[in-house]
Amino acid sequence: MDGALTGIRVIELGEGISAAFAAKLFADYDAEVIKVELPRSPCASDPTETHDAGNVAQPADVSRLGDVTRSWGPFPGDVPDPEKSGAFFFLNTNKRGLALDFTCDKGRELLLRLIAEADVLIENFSPRQMREWKLDWATLEKINPKLVMISITPFGQTGPYADWKGYDLNAFHLSATGTRYCGVPDQAPLEHGTFSAEFFGAYCAVTWGLAAVIGRDLVAQDDAENEKSGGGQHIDVSCAETVAALFVGAQNIGGYAQDGKSGTRTGVGMPLAAPATIIPCQDGYVWMMALETGQWHGLVRAMGNPDWAQLDLFDDMFERAQNSDMIYAFLYEWAAAHTKQEIMDLCQANGCPTTAVFTVAEAGEHPHLRERNYLREIAHAALGTVRTFGAPVHLTACPGGATAPAPLFGEHNAEILGVRLGLSVAEQSTLRSVGVIA
Amino acid sequence: MSKALPLQGLRVANFGWGWLGPVAGQTLGFLGAEVYKIESHARVDINRTLPPFAEGKRDFDRSLQNHAGWAGNGSVTINLKKTAGQALARELVAKCDVVLENFGPGVMDKLGLGYSELCKVRPDVILVSMPAAGLTGPLRHVRTYGMSLSSITGLDSLTGYVDGPPIPMENAYADPLGGIIGAFAALLALRFRKRTGKGQLVDLSQQEGILQMVGPAWMDYAFNGRVAKPIGNRHPLSVGAPHGVFPCVGDDRWISIAVLCEAEWHGLVAAMKSPAWATAVEFSSSQKRVANIEALHQKIAEWTRGFDNQELAALLQTHGVAAAPVLAVADLLSNPQLQARNTFMEVTHPLGFRETIYGAYVKTSRTEPRITPGPAMGCDNEHVFRSLLGRSEVDYQQLVHDEVIF
Repeated sequence: MDGALTGIRVIELGEGISAAFAAKLFADYDAEVIKVELPRSPCASDPTETHDAGNVAQPADVSRLGDVTRSWGPFPGDVPDPEKSGAFFFLNTNKRGLALDFTCDKGRELLLRLIAEADVLIENFSPRQMREWKLDWATLEKINPKLVMISITPFGQTGPYADWKGYDLNAFHLSATGTRYCGVPDQAPLEHGTFSAEFFGAYCAVTWGLAAVIGRDLVAQDDAENEKSGGGQHIDVSCAETVAALFVGAQNIGGYAQDGKSGTRTGVGMPLAAPATIIPCQDGYVWMMALETGQWHGLVRAMGNPDWAQLDLFDDMFERAQNSDMIYAFLYEWAAAHTKQEIMDLCQANGCPTTAVFTVAEAGEHPHLRERNYLREIAHAALGTVRTFGAPVHLTACPGGATAPAPLFGEHNAEILGVRLGLSVAEQSTLRSVGVIA
Repeated sequence: MSKALPLQGLRVANFGWGWLGPVAGQTLGFLGAEVYKIESHARVDINRTLPPFAEGKRDFDRSLQNHAGWAGNGSVTINLKKTAGQALARELVAKCDVVLENFGPGVMDKLGLGYSELCKVRPDVILVSMPAAGLTGPLRHVRTYGMSLSSITGLDSLTGYVDGPPIPMENAYADPLGGIIGAFAALLALRFRKRTGKGQLVDLSQQEGILQMVGPAWMDYAFNGRVAKPIGNRHPLSVGAPHGVFPCVGDDRWISIAVLCEAEWHGLVAAMKSPAWATAVEFSSSQKRVANIEALHQKIAEWTRGFDNQELAALLQTHGVAAAPVLAVADLLSNPQLQARNTFMEVTHPLGFRETIYGAYVKTSRTEPRITPGPAMGCDNEHVFRSLLGRSEVDYQQLVHDEVIF
């Protein structure tokens, strides 16, 4: 194989979205990724945690197997089955699966043997949980000084929230994105409708993590304080922090720090210019956008040069915003008579950057993506043929993308334990009988 | 700590503009690469013109809205409208490992900077092209802004209140994220080059990078033909409830609360001091809470209304409930978590004024990222054209006079 990441060994201890997606990005480009799943999901929480409020915590749902996304679906026909979760499939293509109870001594020892030979460990448990399992960085760097350990959590490894429990929603709204940029004033600030902060954090994590792998030798040579350094390091990603810095912070923090001023959400795409927002059309919505004068003239042409749009005053996007009630009323009327595709085609042909608001189905089925080979069909033992997305970046010399399905629970146990770790069939059978492996 | 950074010794020519391209360069710069943004007074990047300005003085080098996103890039001014400028740019590329750009497809070719031209001066060059929808395919010339790019990914169709229309995200989430993906793409190609000695053209479609975010919703369509709609702050796969933001004391103050399993629900009920309604049959299982989520959210909102959001988050955490304050921009500099992680920092710009930018948004245990402010336009001209490219002072002054360096 000639992949960008061929030869890089990755161990993933992932629950939910962020770590699994980060490891998938490595797997997309032919790194060897072993996804290690616990026989029972801890529900991204510590099952031994006691609650001091008189209610006894109920044990985790015993029907749960492995990574919690196996129970999240979506499932074909909405029938739950840990081997048929769409989220799990999407996030875990090209990986090999090891079902191992690494919370017991024997299981942990096997995991440490894999980590000792790995280049990268990707995980998203809480720092406290990793310490309790003795899988924290201080422990692991002694076992493998070359290891790049990537930890992706809602809030990060340090700071007063380090051991707070959090999910994607909590991380996203700590970034100030919702209050600043999304939603109607006086109503709740919104997230995107997907695991927005976790995807963002995971992309940051793989970028910094891969750089650490590429630069490992350079860093090792130069680490004067530590002669035993293998150049490995701990990459600490807070999903909240990445979004707070790169998105909201980028365009607000300089001005806020200097002038003490900041804007807030309006429910309109760009309130100071027009047209620049999502408006309804015959069969859905379009992102109506005409800013520069040439774009506005393009929109006017696309609409067939109506009389109302001929005012010279309207050549300026700020003047148009001053008259946005009138402008939008006419645009709503025009858009209502056309489909999103008609509007997009007419506008784009006339130099106006308006686009259709595609549904997920329209986006994924678009001929553009088919021509670019972005949609992949992959056979899976329980699901049959599954249509999933390809790699996020097309490398012309080594394209990457999903070629193998997500692993069944423990699908590669025999191969990993037998071939990689050299355990005999009898030893594996003993481990299975005491529940260390599935 | 190591003094060396992971990407030390790597040189990057960044033709990227706006927000996305500079973030790609910034990321490689923070990690140790030497990055030069190529820009010009012949066509000043629109992001340099955005208010507010440092000390209120309108100037291309003082846009505070622009500076955090561009920090980490250096800057050289080359006028690409002149053929001599294009030749000079190729000279610089010959000394670079990676070239970044986010023009539309074909623009680099027209500038004499297409992949085949660059290979002539640097056979193992890595060119990362980052147009909206990639270099090939029927939508390759689609015109979008970063803010509306997400409309062609399906992402916008998921954003909004339940049963309502899509609500636009009022800034371009896809821009900084696309920049990060661009840096990742460059690193993938570098790893390939390290192994094979070969450079390559990377065809990065912003659309395809962002589409990954709707993967879970896509699977529901692929399996069941169901087309997702706006879901408010609910769990994207309806796994648990409550899952939303709830009002607290103060103007536009909210707390986020997410409950995905029984232990967390019991923690929440305990924190609320076990009100009678919480034992009602319609809230007695995760499935039932999801089915009755609106009624459940109303009950919880009545309770949260009386609390300060920071204090309530801390209280809920002691009960094992995932909760956090919903911040506003004005909270970013005072929030204890972001403060503890030095998310934002004050720096001195090369022109002498103080400004606040973000620093290393990812923390690394062995290397200290290199955070540099700016750049001022052309701040690296002397170094690049005189030292790196070896132009004589006379040559250099002539290029400035001819507005090639401009």
